[in-house]
Amino acid sequence: MNAKNLKRIDEWTSQDILFCIAQDCVNSRLWVGSSDFKIYEVDLSKEKPTRIEFQGQHQSYVTGMVRVGQMLVTSSYDRHLQWWDIVERKLIRTVRAHEGWIRRVIESADSKQVISIGDDMQCKVWDAESGSAVASFSDHQSLTPHHFPSMLYAVAASADGKWIATGDKVGHVALWDAHRFEKVGELETPVMYTWDAKARMHSIGGIRSLAFSPDSERLAVGGTGKIGNIDHLEGPARLEVFNRASGQRELELEDKNKKGLIEQIVWSPDQQWIVTAGGDNNGFITIYDAKSGELQHQEGQNGHIHGIACDETFANIFAASHERISRWTLA
Amino acid sequence: MRIQSLNRRSLLKAAATGVVASNMSALDVLSQPALANELAREGKSVILLWLAGGASQLETWDPKPGRRTGGPYAKIKTKVPGIEISELLPKMANQLDETAIIRSLNTKIADHGQAYTLMDIGRIPEPGVHFPHLGSIIAHELGQIDSQVPDFVYMYTQTEGRRQDSAGYLGARYNPMFLTDKMMPDDLHRLDAISDVDHHDRSALRDFMAKRFIRDLNNPSIGSHENAYSRVQGLMASDYLFDIGREPQAMRDHYGPTQFGQQCLAARRLVEAGVPFVKVARAWWDSHGQNFETHRELCADLDHCMSALLEDLKQRGLLSKTLVITLGEFGRTPQINGSLGRDHFASAWSCTLSGCGIRGGTVYGKTDDDGHTVVDGEMKAGDLFATIFAALGIEHDKEHMLGSRPIPLSDFGSKPCREVLA
Repeated sequence: MNAKNLKRIDEWTSQDILFCIAQDCVNSRLWVGSSDFKIYEVDLSKEKPTRIEFQGQHQSYVTGMVRVGQMLVTSSYDRHLQWWDIVERKLIRTVRAHEGWIRRVIESADSKQVISIGDDMQCKVWDAESGSAVASFSDHQSLTPHHFPSMLYAVAASADGKWIATGDKVGHVALWDAHRFEKVGELETPVMYTWDAKARMHSIGGIRSLAFSPDSERLAVGGTGKIGNIDHLEGPARLEVFNRASGQRELELEDKNKKGLIEQIVWSPDQQWIVTAGGDNNGFITIYDAKSGELQHQEGQNGHIHGIACDETFANIFAASHERISRWTLA
Repeated sequence: MRIQSLNRRSLLKAAATGVVASNMSALDVLSQPALANELAREGKSVILLWLAGGASQLETWDPKPGRRTGGPYAKIKTKVPGIEISELLPKMANQLDETAIIRSLNTKIADHGQAYTLMDIGRIPEPGVHFPHLGSIIAHELGQIDSQVPDFVYMYTQTEGRRQDSAGYLGARYNPMFLTDKMMPDDLHRLDAISDVDHHDRSALRDFMAKRFIRDLNNPSIGSHENAYSRVQGLMASDYLFDIGREPQAMRDHYGPTQFGQQCLAARRLVEAGVPFVKVARAWWDSHGQNFETHRELCADLDHCMSALLEDLKQRGLLSKTLVITLGEFGRTPQINGSLGRDHFASAWSCTLSGCGIRGGTVYGKTDDDGHTVVDGEMKAGDLFATIFAALGIEHDKEHMLGSRPIPLSDFGSKPCREVLA
């Protein structure tokens, strides 16, 4: 595949904001979580894909989604995780999971567990099948150094099943042993956090995305660089890549062309590329060379991208965005 | 231009010393509506918490959860049955019995500068007339001519959106003491080169000579000069009011560690000492991007500091004499933009009034289900000013004469909102 082949081939607009997405390309299906608190299935086999509503809903924005077998697990600002039957499109279970907004939910490498993070600054591990709590741990302060509430935005699990990483608003990353749930390391990315002490006296930014490389040896951290006017997302999209074992920063990239937040990072299966997605008022997908950090290609779209899902072949990328779903191809 | 109006202070002084009518009993004084109003206003103050940049009504006082415009936050019950506010204000939810929420401001102007001016002076500016700021009007109405403390203190530490409010035609006497970089006013201390003893000796000598001068010259303008001098001396002696380090640590903890908290504590010290108007600006709420993250931060600050202030004022018996206002230049759009932000919006937004003269635990006005328009109780800037004046016992339609032109305190045609008045 050639990174320069990246292009948007479909776009389906709506009136809501879509924050998260999961895919089943084999069966031409997508699932999205919406600002209307609901979960939808999108049938891609039809010429004009329609959205089919699941029975039941969250009580706030649906912020995270992961497919585990025949179930979806979703997270919401309503502090709950919900388990859904994707065949029946029915709610199976609701669990009060955090005492703060839940920012994201992911699966473990073996899909036996799901991992959630929330603004109670806790990372929690759950049995994917039963929904029972397995562990809760944190290395993140609830207040910023300036006495304001902090947020725990990002979490990743390594493909070898050994590591979990969590990242917060002030740029602190904690590395965890995924079996013993003990902290094994930490990284700092302070540029991701902008505190405006003089003009506006509040902050913006934070680590918004984390992703281990397929060999689990490197960790990519996404967010935004320093912002001058924090009324807007006008800072450069910022990506830092660390060696997991040594903690050494290997790449430090800022993109002044496509500004805003990197909301999600995906490594290509061959570890050749790092794909980032996010935006400011509009969205972008950018592909970097994973070794040199050289920007290979990028494309923009109307509407901030909140989440992406890639199919197994890495040929198709689906983006959950502001008032739209878009489909991109690398083939 | 010469401003003429009834000088209530001289009237009060005269009444108090029996000059107005030697046989007027205290009861007689109170039976005169004008004098009764004057007495009722004594000791009243205002603390304006200025939410600069425009706080979102949907994330504060007029939540719409579940609507497309509503955002992610839930609404929570308050101490007052039937009234719900954003979950971002849990501490204020417990103090809402002292607060009236106005959800129906329609001020139309959604540009920072022009909207600031509108909410500053309560009317559309006119060429050739320099209207005074709300604080200057209240300082003029409630301040004492021989006060030893400032009449109007204005703290605006952040730089974005900062403007110096003006007393306009009321004259420099009612301009604010404007504090920007520091909480302590500049140039208030005596020079280090002058000892405390020297300072007092010089003052005594000046007083001695001034009295002879006034007696011999018999010129009214000398009295004004004398007043200005004693006022400066009073201000120099009031520097301790700005020093929150004199408060017990428990009280400082009560207000919290943020700058806004410290300034709210200073505001309480100032009104306790008799300052009629204190404005504390908390910038910057202009959340075009990341509105929900910004409000999670700033509302935590507002919620803690405002509730701490109300609680402290109440415990000291000051809340019944102190009107606490939250206001900005406008609110924010119901529509959520691509950066998860909200933009400027002045057609249907909210403010609050707490304490002095206010019927707490009330909500006035209503917006539609999505918050786009006011559907009941529309209130303009002038009406809000009239309501503030009425809460303080100030006649909102009292006129200043600017030459031959009468100018009412609140804009022509404005009316106080009786529903929120005690």
